[in-house]
Amino acid sequence: MKKRYRLLGSLLALSLVAAACGSDSKSSSSTGSQSSGSTAASTAGSGAPDTTGTPVSGGEITIALGSEPTSLDPYLVDDGAERAINDNIYETLLSRDASGTLQPGLATALPTQTDDLTWQFKLREGVKFQDGSAFNADSVVASINRMVQLIADKKTDNDGFYSSITGAVKVDDTTVNITTAKPDGVLPARMYWLKMIPTSAEKTADLSDAPIGTGPYKFVSRTVGSDIKLEANADYWGDKPSITKVNYEFVAEGGTRLAGLKSGKYDLITNLPPQDVDQAPQSAKVQGQEHPILILDSDEGITADPNVRLALNLAVDKDAIAKQIFGGFAVPDAGQLLSPSVLGYNESISAYPYDPEKAKQLLKDAGVAGKTIELVGESGRWLNDRDLLEAVAGYWKAAGMDVKLSILEFGAYLDVLFDRTNRADAIYVSSSNDILDPDRQLSTYYQAGGIGSSNSNKDLSALIDQGRQELDPAARATTYQQAVKIAYDGAYFVWLVNNQDLYGLSTRLTWTPRVDSKLLVKEMSVTS
Amino acid sequence: MGRYIARRLVQGFVVIFGVTVFVFIITRLVGDPVKFMLPLSATPEQRAERRAALGLDRSIPVQFVRFMGDLFRLDLGQSTYVRGHSALSVVFDYIPRTLQLVGLGMVFAILLSIPLGVLASRRPGGTLDRILTTLSLIGLSMPQFFLGFVLLIAFTVKLHWFESGPGPWTKNLILPALCLALPAIGRLSMVVRSSMIDELNTQYVKVAKAKGMTQRRILGVHALRNAGIPYVTLLGWEIIRALAGYTVVVESVFNWPGLGFMAKTAIQNQDFYLIQAIVFVIAVAVVVLNILIDIAYKLLDPRVDLQ
Repeated sequence: MKKRYRLLGSLLALSLVAAACGSDSKSSSSTGSQSSGSTAASTAGSGAPDTTGTPVSGGEITIALGSEPTSLDPYLVDDGAERAINDNIYETLLSRDASGTLQPGLATALPTQTDDLTWQFKLREGVKFQDGSAFNADSVVASINRMVQLIADKKTDNDGFYSSITGAVKVDDTTVNITTAKPDGVLPARMYWLKMIPTSAEKTADLSDAPIGTGPYKFVSRTVGSDIKLEANADYWGDKPSITKVNYEFVAEGGTRLAGLKSGKYDLITNLPPQDVDQAPQSAKVQGQEHPILILDSDEGITADPNVRLALNLAVDKDAIAKQIFGGFAVPDAGQLLSPSVLGYNESISAYPYDPEKAKQLLKDAGVAGKTIELVGESGRWLNDRDLLEAVAGYWKAAGMDVKLSILEFGAYLDVLFDRTNRADAIYVSSSNDILDPDRQLSTYYQAGGIGSSNSNKDLSALIDQGRQELDPAARATTYQQAVKIAYDGAYFVWLVNNQDLYGLSTRLTWTPRVDSKLLVKEMSVTS
Repeated sequence: MGRYIARRLVQGFVVIFGVTVFVFIITRLVGDPVKFMLPLSATPEQRAERRAALGLDRSIPVQFVRFMGDLFRLDLGQSTYVRGHSALSVVFDYIPRTLQLVGLGMVFAILLSIPLGVLASRRPGGTLDRILTTLSLIGLSMPQFFLGFVLLIAFTVKLHWFESGPGPWTKNLILPALCLALPAIGRLSMVVRSSMIDELNTQYVKVAKAKGMTQRRILGVHALRNAGIPYVTLLGWEIIRALAGYTVVVESVFNWPGLGFMAKTAIQNQDFYLIQAIVFVIAVAVVVLNILIDIAYKLLDPRVDLQ
């Protein structure tokens, strides 16, 4: 009797262990069934360089992204990893060429205006969604309706991009009118951003599990936490892409991405750190949209004096920062937050020179030498942020300031950046421009009341409003050029550098990166 | 025993309830998921609207009543980080990898701790015993984030034997499982050693020796089985420790996308709903495991009175 109990006991003890292992085998088989292709493909992928010695059309590539998409529904989230994948599945009415100029996409031409509030798009014929349904004016209406509804329901993170849109009306099968609440000069850029969905998806709460677009690649499978697979869309209306299979893997650690690239496991990695460029089999760079800046409080405190703000600019050696902190893969920001590829870039202004003597003198004359200035930033979110902040603090100290540098955890940092009542003297931020239009960046950081702005200049604010509502691109550009000049003259920021986007490529991959940082696989090819 | 289990279940409910309420209060007091959900450029108005849409603009007592109502329907809300998914479904998406990790880790722990403990107990105070005791002390006192990086640098970066991140278990799971197991091996082998030494000093073992039974048979059949009682309890505790904490560190160091990895991400993004769901599921697991340990204890040693 006793013995039998003991046996039972040991069995139970074993089952305790087995409980863990048992669910282990169950779960691995369940992920296995979902991703039976995944392990097979990843071994095939790593074996690919051996087996494919011949020139490849029909090649397969693996791209390592730094994070997993938080959703695959492009309407819900504003997420770089989501875009990296969905930019290949979905298409938009307009596109951009490699230099950033707006081009026709699913529309046959740039839109025309029927009145100040209405933009008319002519649509391409013969385009089909990956589920076989036709792309036409109804799909555009469905797409606009879905976004407008999600904004009304407060369910999307993208209201900043589309809240000006009121609706869309079908004129005929290939003509559609999109209407806005106010005159909206940004609308063409917005239509370079809004991905077109089939009418069947209009009421779907979440498109994440089955993305269906008109793009050159279609969704195959997803293993949560691990990878997403796409394959070429055989019915694609445009030029057939040469790469037929794409695997995306999510690798948080930069060193692991680089190791995978070197071993041939990955063909493309994003955010290659400047210090690792020499180690990558191949690297590619493009002057991107990333601009680290320091927002100076021009209303209150020590930085309220324009001469102090000017001095803080003159005190910093941007060339040295570009070289030392960013390995030469950056150029000084020409005093305007906008990259040359963005509308409104003002060619007549250039970065404040490095003049430490004049900076010292200005600070002394202003009576602030030796006084404390607070500089708030964070570490880990943006490229080499801590080094950058410490360098700036060093320059300011050399110019005679007592710098109180706070490098905060990201959540605490956001509290400082978003604090509208108590602006810190200087706040670091790295600003990007996703849709290559100046409106969002300037309304966020330049316009009084913008969540990251620290000035109350009414003229500047009015110009930014005017730019948004200006419909003629040339007139818009002039307006923004005036706006950035005002901020430059007032030294509302310390403009630091404009980073280059760096990518690591395997030796067999051919690709030229884009200024809008889209990873379009149809523009890539592999050779043996 | 049925009565005992019923009582433990009631206690378990109280524990789970308490933990859930505690996490609710902590997250509501310190966090704001909206800060991380919306793009940096979102306006203050957009942020306020989103907060209202999530019900986070209400007072904490009002939120709490709503939360309790949802909890009784096992609705822990929508994750704010993994969008469009309920927090519970995210937990079940990620928990299989954690179970794989803990499962393999415990297999390593069992396979290594028993032979090591038995070897050490054969000559207490001998050279082998001293070496093994020192090794297990090192093993159990080494912090896992440190141990993990040492293992990664040695076997992944230098030797290329393994990879980090998700992947097949032979390449990607062995190292994190070892990292999870090593401190457990240290603790468990010490228990095997001391229980074995106790058992080997008992009368029945002396009698067995006297009547000429082989050392192997004494160890394997008699002593080891009796030494198994404290061992099973401790093993259960190791599983609980791993699930409720160690996996967060190990999965983060090895980029193994299980529940611990997700817990770190949820905290970084102040995803209340996901944090709550993770803590809830882990609390349920811990309560159930505890009851199973008690039952196993009773079955292994009938003298134990569960009342």
